[in-house]
Amino acid sequence: MLTSFRLLALGAALAIGAANSIAVLAADKEQVIKDREALMKRQGSDLGAVRGYIEDKTDLAKATAGATDLIETMQKIPDVFPPGTGGPNPDGKYAPKPEVWSDWKDFLAQRDIAAAKADALLVAVKSGDKANIQTAFADLGKNGCGACHGKFREEIKK
Amino acid sequence: MLAFSRGAGAADAVARGAYLAGAAGCDQCHSDSEHGGKPYAGAPPFPTPYGQIATPNLTPDRSTGIGGWSLADFTRAVRWGVAPDDSHYVPSFPYPFYNRLTDGDLADLKAFLDSLQPVSRRDLEGAGSTALVARARAALAVALMPLRGAWQPNPAKDPVWNRGAYLVASVGRCGDCHTPRNWLGVPDNERFLAGSPAGPEGKKVPNITQDAKTGIGNWSEEDIIGVLTDGHTPDFDFVAGPMAEIVKNTARLTEEDRRAIAVYLRSIPSKPFAAKQ
Repeated sequence: MLTSFRLLALGAALAIGAANSIAVLAADKEQVIKDREALMKRQGSDLGAVRGYIEDKTDLAKATAGATDLIETMQKIPDVFPPGTGGPNPDGKYAPKPEVWSDWKDFLAQRDIAAAKADALLVAVKSGDKANIQTAFADLGKNGCGACHGKFREEIKK
Repeated sequence: MLAFSRGAGAADAVARGAYLAGAAGCDQCHSDSEHGGKPYAGAPPFPTPYGQIATPNLTPDRSTGIGGWSLADFTRAVRWGVAPDDSHYVPSFPYPFYNRLTDGDLADLKAFLDSLQPVSRRDLEGAGSTALVARARAALAVALMPLRGAWQPNPAKDPVWNRGAYLVASVGRCGDCHTPRNWLGVPDNERFLAGSPAGPEGKKVPNITQDAKTGIGNWSEEDIIGVLTDGHTPDFDFVAGPMAEIVKNTARLTEEDRRAIAVYLRSIPSKPFAAKQ
């Protein structure tokens, strides 16, 4: 038979346990959102390396490294959008739309399109031909990155 | 103007006109691309703030296109929004901006359109519906908005600046989205290109004045050229939606013309973005 004191202690333990679980979840979500922003910035950096070559600012090796890394980042995209991680990015400028999760199949399909265009970009970069690279870059930007953002990212109005 | 001189030769006029049509993106509204329609042959009604509007057939078909239009007819339509039958266009056709085109450029544009194969579009006749209140509001807005006619170069500025200013004012029609409007729909020129909280599709339109905090004051000339070339921003994000459509047009410009636009934009007065009108 539990004394009132033990009952209280048990209740307290359960509450602390539950609070800990909630706290862990919140920390997880915060980390995911940070990782998400970091992944996008990594993609931006990779694209910058490719464009740098077109603009004669960096060499082909850097552009190739960027385009190669970009392909890897495309595969990581679903990892940074687990369910329950909606909300503004650390910059406070953008947030994923709920459609990311309600239209998850469509979200992945859009990711696949972007991934294919990243593959095409690497092929163009390997050719060293700047006109080809620019064409592939513009296509990825508009129909890969831009198309996904248009459908699944919202700007937070201030 | 900078890129093309007023040289002789009909072929030159057609080529210059083709360039202007590409810069303005006429084919985007005036083609039924979704159903494999021919470029510039018009499109069936689509929703606009003024009702369902069909875009006219710009090929020189005599009964369903603009075949038989004189240069004067064409100039009146594109510069003042008045058709040969004296009816008025709604500013979904951005004639308040094409208003600033020079006589020479209008003639070249017509030469290009006249060179196209005539396409018959019986299906477009009588298409569209009126949205009377919206049209009345549009008429009021246009009446209150002075249209200055052909753009005059500023003799105090260099040719590159003048070219950029001309492109922005006319075929670029940047102010159509980037300049906020009052409740009547009249652009607020005190806030030229300072962005709008509710532009097309109800979305926020960025401030492209030199304001460092809310505009593009921290962008270099190359950054602006970058977005006009393929839509990428300085941090390698990409513009989407209506601006992505505009980039299709700016991508067709020469590198000099994109640079001229960048030079001009970096010279306009800095204004903060206003979240509320």
